[in-house]
Amino acid sequence: MEPADLLQLLSDQQARRLRVIENLLRGRRTVSTLYWGLRYDLLYLLDLNKHLPRGGLDAVAHTVVANGWAQWGSDEQPQLRLTSAGVHARDQRPYYQPGDVTAWPLLDLNVARQRLLLAIQVTSEYAHQTNRYYPLAVDQATRQTVRRWFYQVRDPALPAQVAAALTATLATLPPTVAAVTTAGLTGYQQPGQTTQQLADQFAITSWEAYLMHVTAVVAVAQAARDPHHVLAPLLAPTWQSPVTRSAQATLATVMTGTPLDRVAAERHIKPSTVREHLLEAAIMLPPTALPYDRLIPAAARQALLAALPQTIDDWEYTALPAELQERYDFFTFRLLAIWQHKRGVD
Amino acid sequence: MVPLETSLQQLFGFTTFRTGQRAALTALEAGQDTLAVLPTGAGKTLIYQLYGYRHPGCVVIVSPLLALMNDQVDRMHVAGFRHVAAITSLTSYGERQAILQHLGDYRFLFLSPEMLAQAPVLTRLQQVPISLFVIDEAHCIVQWGPDFRPEYLLLGAIRAKLHAPLTLLLTATADHATRHEISKQLRVHPQVVAETVDRPNIFLDVEAVANDAEKQARLLELVTQLQGPGVVYFSSKQLASETATWLRDQTGLPVAAYHAGLASEDRFKIQQQFMQGDLAVICATSAFGMGIDKNDIRYVIHYHLPADLGSYAQEMGRAGRDGQPSVAILLYAAGDERLPQALNQANRPDDVTIQRFYQQPSHFDPAEPGIALLQFYRAHGISEQAVSDLFARRERERAQALARMVAYVHTTTCLRATWLTAFDESAPAHQATCCAPAGQPLDLAALGLKRSVVAPTPAPARDWRQQLTRLFY
Repeated sequence: MEPADLLQLLSDQQARRLRVIENLLRGRRTVSTLYWGLRYDLLYLLDLNKHLPRGGLDAVAHTVVANGWAQWGSDEQPQLRLTSAGVHARDQRPYYQPGDVTAWPLLDLNVARQRLLLAIQVTSEYAHQTNRYYPLAVDQATRQTVRRWFYQVRDPALPAQVAAALTATLATLPPTVAAVTTAGLTGYQQPGQTTQQLADQFAITSWEAYLMHVTAVVAVAQAARDPHHVLAPLLAPTWQSPVTRSAQATLATVMTGTPLDRVAAERHIKPSTVREHLLEAAIMLPPTALPYDRLIPAAARQALLAALPQTIDDWEYTALPAELQERYDFFTFRLLAIWQHKRGVD
Repeated sequence: MVPLETSLQQLFGFTTFRTGQRAALTALEAGQDTLAVLPTGAGKTLIYQLYGYRHPGCVVIVSPLLALMNDQVDRMHVAGFRHVAAITSLTSYGERQAILQHLGDYRFLFLSPEMLAQAPVLTRLQQVPISLFVIDEAHCIVQWGPDFRPEYLLLGAIRAKLHAPLTLLLTATADHATRHEISKQLRVHPQVVAETVDRPNIFLDVEAVANDAEKQARLLELVTQLQGPGVVYFSSKQLASETATWLRDQTGLPVAAYHAGLASEDRFKIQQQFMQGDLAVICATSAFGMGIDKNDIRYVIHYHLPADLGSYAQEMGRAGRDGQPSVAILLYAAGDERLPQALNQANRPDDVTIQRFYQQPSHFDPAEPGIALLQFYRAHGISEQAVSDLFARRERERAQALARMVAYVHTTTCLRATWLTAFDESAPAHQATCCAPAGQPLDLAALGLKRSVVAPTPAPARDWRQQLTRLFY
């Protein structure tokens, strides 16, 4: 990531924790990371760079600060806020905005893109009647899945079908996204450009090129939810719940009306884990998915809202009067923040 | 059994062996453990492929580089071999189990020494007939074993546990001392099949420059004038990347960087682009090379001083595998030896660390490579003093190897003679087409390596629809 990329993830309105951005990219799904990801509107970053090492954004953050584009906050955790120079630098050139990214955390992106890229290579080589070539370096599971798919759908008409399916999706995307994505594909006598080469060629950053590629992968996977789509057997199963299996099970039990402590006993998990599962579900799922009314009774809601500041980012549990802290645990407090956020009350 | 040539014809469609291949195969067919010292590009892999084809059982190949192993498996698939697999630290648990369960079905199995040293893997291997036990890049036993791949030092014991199967040791560079050390470690008395390491079609050149700026300027000049494709080696990933960008901007040539810091997807693409001639120059670290078989590389330039002549020979030996005139250029500024020197010293835990570690091993982080090494030695019952002596000896050996490299740079008479002498070989008589030591001019035109045509400007980017069409129709 370059300074230009980090600028896009920062704000002059809100101080943002660098560690949260880093953890989102690395796919570290703690409730705290997810919550702040929600508040920053950056949940789409989840899992986008699993190989990013811990502290992997520190150097670029220091450059951003050294350039006067952002300042460190005084909080215990390093927080960055854009300066006006930073806003200016950010807006100086058009930067790719991926548009609607709500679906991104719902796709197992790494599996989907490996399958898609290998399927394209296999089909392209097949179209040119070559069966001896270097396959993309993907894991064995992907290789097997794509091989199975290929033997099921192998037919002289396959290349045309795949080409038509890809064209249909790419045509709905901005032309640069289509161009960058296509130029990165590997197939017959076409090794494909690396992200860096694409960045150089299209005068964008590597991260922008990657975001464009992800946009296209998500769009193709979206189209492949149609069971008639040629890539449906490969890509439809890569859509998943954004919530872990265990949290889904907890939520399902809670939805039956079981009190939280009983849920913990039934599921053989700690009461605190039940609450973490619910917060995770609250963050990642639409507001209708949780029984908010039951979890935060009206009295609790009123009492807490009356004592809390207008802006959710200014809420601090420890700043609540002791008496309220006594009555309402952190879980209720945080769940209320999520609910307010989801209802657009800020 | 059919003659070797018949198998060669059946399997590869060739009628004659390259030098060294036949001698090695004949020794193996006679049941002789064999150490084959054959230059880069001599077709070492063909030896075990052909042997495996002719004999039942599994050929087990111990190989040093993860990337290299997967590459080998792919390459064998491309060549039409079936029942080939690799087990490395990158292989998922499930995949590894699947391979081990069906081990009897595989004809060729690639393993890292670290994997081979694992009890479940070794136990399973003991149960299948091994037709041939191959150590690829066998010089790594000596070069890397004591310093950061200690599992290499277990190979002798492992081989014994596998009931001492017929063994083939392969390397491109090994002087007599190294050959002796390899055999000692493996506990074998191999028949040595050695071809000269000399590559007569590679012109050797050393150029002294005053400083970094001059070195960079000379590099630009060379890359502009030389007939490609070429490889420029660096000791640093960052410099390889930066120089690739700079050279591309300066020359307009398609240049890319290749190093271990790239994502595997990008490494794959760069490698394929280079293979199919889309790239004129690769700016690489030592990660690039083993496993790349591109025959028409016309030049290899070293921007930094290699740590020893063995590494240098490996890297510059990637030029001219097609036998056509090629050139290996080493750019040297006074003091360049300081970098490998510093790396040599930084490479090992110091005596204080060794002492503290042996007193309280639990206080150290095994994730650190130096500590992992100490842990290995301690677990294998090697005393503190012995470890300390070992590191000291290795440091001396590396210092000596570097001194020989520096001596090469400072050679005034014949570079080839200096190089070959270091490998216990005698050099052919010096002549004009042999080399240009520092101070003697490099005449690219006379070598036929001057770029004759201006590089074509890259074709304008096609419309994405056209590009898709090209993929599928």
